Amino acid sequence: MKLFKVTDLNLKLGGKTILKDVSFHLEKGKITGLIGPNGSGKSSLIKVLAGLVFPDRGAICIENDTTSTFLELRNKSGFLIDSPALYPFLDATENLNLFCKLNKKHLEVESLLNMVGLAGIGEKKVKHFSTGMKQRLSIAQSLIGDPEVLILDEPFNGLDPNGANDLADLLKSLNKAGKSILISSHLLRDMEILADEFIVIYRGEIVLQVNKETLQREDKKIILTFQDRIGNEALAYLKDLHAEILDNGNVVLVLCPDIIASVITKLVGLGDVPVNMETLTVLQERYLDITK
Amino acid sequence: MKTLILIELYKLFKSNRTYLVFAIAILLMIIIDLGLYKDGDELFGYLLQPISENFFIEGNMVNGYLISYLALNTLWVHIPILIIIVTTHIFSSEFELGTIKTLLTQPIERTELIAAKIVAMICFVIIFMLVVALSALLPALVLFGFGDVIVFIDGIQFIQQPTYLGRYMLAIFFSIISMVAFSSMAMFFALYFRNTLSAILISIGILILSTLIQTFIFGFFSDWQPFLFTYHFAKWQLFFVDTIPVKTIVNAVIFLLVMILFFVALSVMRFKKMQITE
Repeated sequence: MKLFKVTDLNLKLGGKTILKDVSFHLEKGKITGLIGPNGSGKSSLIKVLAGLVFPDRGAICIENDTTSTFLELRNKSGFLIDSPALYPFLDATENLNLFCKLNKKHLEVESLLNMVGLAGIGEKKVKHFSTGMKQRLSIAQSLIGDPEVLILDEPFNGLDPNGANDLADLLKSLNKAGKSILISSHLLRDMEILADEFIVIYRGEIVLQVNKETLQREDKKIILTFQDRIGNEALAYLKDLHAEILDNGNVVLVLCPDIIASVITKLVGLGDVPVNMETLTVLQERYLDITK
Repeated sequence: MKTLILIELYKLFKSNRTYLVFAIAILLMIIIDLGLYKDGDELFGYLLQPISENFFIEGNMVNGYLISYLALNTLWVHIPILIIIVTTHIFSSEFELGTIKTLLTQPIERTELIAAKIVAMICFVIIFMLVVALSALLPALVLFGFGDVIVFIDGIQFIQQPTYLGRYMLAIFFSIISMVAFSSMAMFFALYFRNTLSAILISIGILILSTLIQTFIFGFFSDWQPFLFTYHFAKWQLFFVDTIPVKTIVNAVIFLLVMILFFVALSVMRFKKMQITE
């Protein structure tokens, strides 16, 4: 079910086209990855959704209500825009209390801090926080209004691998609790693991919207590396599969996911054991093609 | 709206900058008081010499009231600068910290937010001017005592002790309106440049330029004077004229109120349409 649908969104800033005829939808209860290289328009799109930037043209339809506005989306969403932005001269509890008051919510701030892994440091001034801690606190802030949807712009920026894993786990648990989540990122591989839906944006245009199930059904490009020269029998077999043999001896194949295992088994049976196998999903392949 | 205003005041009084500005203002007053207490006799002897030659002076001419008047007179260019250090920050700090994005993604209207900030700005100006008024008056009264006041505005003005406090309060009230007007202009620059330092520098530049033009009281420049805000700011002194020129003061208040309305309207319009792209 679609939570909201954006159509024909256009944005120009300083005479430069930032978003061009952008149309996409967000599935209810899913994690959607908004993927694109730096400067592709991800942040601008999120700022439009947040009501920070007014588009020149475009419409939003929330839960089939054609009279919806971006302001209504803002009121039912929690946001993290760019880098975490909180008051450095206030401590974590004071920051969250301030936003609770703005949202007219009486929440147990300590439980929010617990949820994002910041238990026990509520009285520490935000100016002494690390980037990861600020990121977590910003996510706690975005949860204050108990939003139906979380819209997060590059939430993994500045996080170390452990911090990124913790954040991914937190987002998964929030999603399980019923929150729809839109995350923008340029980290394709991380998004592939986390998201259920993918929107690829490039030069201000949506070039692909696809879900994980469709991707999993589609053929995959695999690159096999062999230690030695491939035998004639294996070569003939690979040619039957329309394999491309690269100059460096690597073999590129496009295979249905169901037969990948049997192909490898066959090659091993023929005495040509691949020492490495790199798999590119359709998403990765298209993304790389688009952004080359 | 009440919550928003309280939040703005809470942020304002949680910032070290606010207390620093209060501390500077109080320190300046104390320095003036102590300086005059220690070496003021010579200065006042010189200043009051023309009067002493023509009038028989009885009582304490160098008293706390006179010192409070002189302190305000000395600082009337410094006070606006101290005020805008804080008031511009109310607006531009949100851009500098990036918190404007966090604020505007909350369920509040832009108009409500800027209105709350304007109210916080006015509250700060009022509190600051009251602190300035008290710190100019109380230590001076303790050090120099009470008495009638002689000031030089359009000739010699004798202010009798019982009427001084009332005049002083009215002058402070008038100064509050002046400072709100100046802060409103600085607020517009803070929103335009989204940067505290730029807003402060431009506002100070305009203040200096306006004061400079005001000092040329002849020829071309004298025609410009009624359009200078510093010309109207200076009207607080008229409360210490024997017969207060009400009409001139009312005209100055009207000018300042129009200035406030102009910059508030301009700022609200700009903020409502602002693209928050940072």
